[in-house]
Amino acid sequence: MKPLVLYQLASLVLLGAGLAGLVKRRTLVGMLIAVELMLNGAGLSIVAATQLTGADPALGQLATLLVMGLAAAEATVALAAIVVVFRRFGHTRTDALTTLREQQ
Amino acid sequence: METPAILAFGFYFLVIVVGCFMAVGSASLVRALVGLVATLLGVAGMYLLLNAPFMAFMQILIYVGAICVLIFFALMLARADADGDEADPAPAPRVFKGVLAAMLPGALLAPILLLHPTASHLLPPDVPLADLGRRLMEDYVLPFELISVVLLISMAGAVLLVWERRDK
Repeated sequence: MKPLVLYQLASLVLLGAGLAGLVKRRTLVGMLIAVELMLNGAGLSIVAATQLTGADPALGQLATLLVMGLAAAEATVALAAIVVVFRRFGHTRTDALTTLREQQ
Repeated sequence: METPAILAFGFYFLVIVVGCFMAVGSASLVRALVGLVATLLGVAGMYLLLNAPFMAFMQILIYVGAICVLIFFALMLARADADGDEADPAPAPRVFKGVLAAMLPGALLAPILLLHPTASHLLPPDVPLADLGRRLMEDYVLPFELISVVLLISMAGAVLLVWERRDK
């Protein structure tokens, strides 16, 4: 089997696990963990695709660095959203978060 | 790939798979976070195998060092212990949907990967760190600046979201 296919399969495992976690988890923090798994799979796939083919390898590494930066930004905003949700509802279970407006 | 590389790849792959199962299936969110850390370290090992040590260290620095600590702070707000929010096993339809969601990209992408493998090098090339830095400052200076703006805005937004007024 070609090396690139092996790495792509590894990132496919990460994508599948992330999607499964996103559907299965019932708290916002669990979903955040699943999203991080998926972003990691994307990064691994990009680096493998540029390191093992004729593409520009520096471009792939910089693109993955960009993905990491976006993941950090996303985690920051998600954490703030979780804090706000916890203040308003007292928990972070997704099945009970069914209202957008302030409760009277 | 030579035998040591295959062995190392197998080890990292095992770490990733076990970490994924822990991160997705564990009843306690703290264990899920430990699974996430294991997965991140496995991916860092794969970056090392791909001859991208800078990416491996950035992975450990940014993901394990920053993002996992952030998630841990968020964890303190959830009831994360073994009989917390995620404790009772998820209802069967939900697990079924989760497995379906995992299978869908696998069923779509894995056949394409296996039937039409892209021609690939056996040895990844060396990318000097100076080259990366130069490209970041010359060719890709716009994305570099934009990501800093995105980070600044997200941090300012996070502070604004959780701000509590004194006079309230």
